[in-house]
Amino acid sequence: MTETGTTNSLSFKGIQQSFPGPNGEAPTPVINDIGFEVQQGKFVSVIGPSGCGKSTLLQMAAGLLKPTGGKVFHNGHQVTSVNRTIGFVPQQAQLLPWKTMIENVEFPLLLRGVSAAERRAKAQQAIDKVDLSGFEAHYPYQLSGGMQKRTSIARMLVYKPDTILMDEPFGALDAQTRMVMQHDLQTMLATEGASVLFVTHDITEAVMLSDSVVVLSRRPARILAEIPIDLPRPRDMFEPHATPGFAEAYDRVWSVFRSELKIKRAA
Amino acid sequence: MALSPVKFSSMRHIWASLRRALVLASPGIVLLCFWQFASGRLVREAYVSKPTEILKRLFELFYTGEIWPSLKVTGQELVLSYVIGVVMGLLLGYALGRSPRLASVFEPYVMAFYGIPKIALAPLFVIWFGIGIWSKVMLAGTMVFFLVFYNVYAGVRSVDREIVNLALVLGANERQLGRQIYLPAAAPFLLLGMRMAIPYAVIGVIVGEFTSSVVGLGLFINYASSTYDPASVFAGIFILLAFVMVMNALASRLERRLLRWQPSMHSVPSEPN
Repeated sequence: MTETGTTNSLSFKGIQQSFPGPNGEAPTPVINDIGFEVQQGKFVSVIGPSGCGKSTLLQMAAGLLKPTGGKVFHNGHQVTSVNRTIGFVPQQAQLLPWKTMIENVEFPLLLRGVSAAERRAKAQQAIDKVDLSGFEAHYPYQLSGGMQKRTSIARMLVYKPDTILMDEPFGALDAQTRMVMQHDLQTMLATEGASVLFVTHDITEAVMLSDSVVVLSRRPARILAEIPIDLPRPRDMFEPHATPGFAEAYDRVWSVFRSELKIKRAA
Repeated sequence: MALSPVKFSSMRHIWASLRRALVLASPGIVLLCFWQFASGRLVREAYVSKPTEILKRLFELFYTGEIWPSLKVTGQELVLSYVIGVVMGLLLGYALGRSPRLASVFEPYVMAFYGIPKIALAPLFVIWFGIGIWSKVMLAGTMVFFLVFYNVYAGVRSVDREIVNLALVLGANERQLGRQIYLPAAAPFLLLGMRMAIPYAVIGVIVGEFTSSVVGLGLFINYASSTYDPASVFAGIFILLAFVMVMNALASRLERRLLRWQPSMHSVPSEPN
């Protein structure tokens, strides 16, 4: 496939997805003709009501799920099998419980056959970046939820993917930890220069982190709006409401999002 | 300071473990004392012998060397059956766990064979594998196999699809999935199966020897019981007990080594107060 959009890290074109119904009933359409781009170095959030297929889009970009219709491109190449060049931060930290924290971070390098010394050095760098030094020898059960999440991010940073998929990564954290993580993510990304596709259901989070917010409808999902967020960076994650322009940006997203909830209430 | 803190804490540690050992041993000691007392008073000694008598017999058996040939043969049978059963169980459990297609064909068969009381097959095993060690190895090995097989199979199947998907995106190929994800995830199940299989290996070997054999602990116990020699029967049983305890201790060490990443591995039973 040579359909290239040179400045697009990710591009979804005419995505359709349906899942087979239970007991051989007619397939349920989940996604109905979705198309959007994540430009190089940009942070794009996808928000929508729960169960609308947000995570499904990430699965497709990672090559874990083949869309029923349409195509996904990563750096101009169609994704047809497992995408090993992309970074993935799952909803749960999904650390390997039998590996220590640093071994978990080294894991992608181990899979790539990198030498032990180089693995150690690169993992240490990534660990420093997520501010977890001193916990290298801990097993996952000995780490707090936020630390597990940081480990999971370090594990993704360690092989320096140019594009990162994040699936409600901070959803399970308490409010304080979440703000700290959002702040740190912004700082990390400023130096990495990676593109991010971020799935969330938290409008504040979406607005504060993103360059652009894609709002999806209820199932079967389609795009309701693609709203650019041009608040200056760095943004103060701890005081969203004190950020000039935040209220307007939030309102633009919320007004679209609200329409979906209204329909739900009427139904 | 008269006592360095290190020394003091290590002494306290020794004292604590001594106390733990004492608590652990006390029910056994009470039982033995009661046995000693009851024998000849509440129950005829000819039925149950008594601990001092058994100890004397044990000493005799080892001192004269009478027991060594039996011990050697039974030990061989135990180790062989256990190793063969564990290895086969691990290989097959892993293969069927990884391949749903293989599993869909073979699982019903394995399930059916699992249901057969292996003990009932003991005489057939003698016909098939002879009166020597192999009939016992095969009988006990089969019992070990099924326990390990089912645990490993369940362990491999329990691996979360999401963690496999993540490993794929992180760069794992099929071989690495096995080595890095499925095997370590199945390790706790394997060790559980190995632990459960220890008494079964002993039962299989002893039943095999009961059925027909030329030498072995089972034969020794069988002979002693048919000649009304309870001291020898219990002496034989205590030797078997020692076997089981040694194997259990080895399994525990393996468990501590392989499963140190599990939270439960670190929670020592807490001391009262």
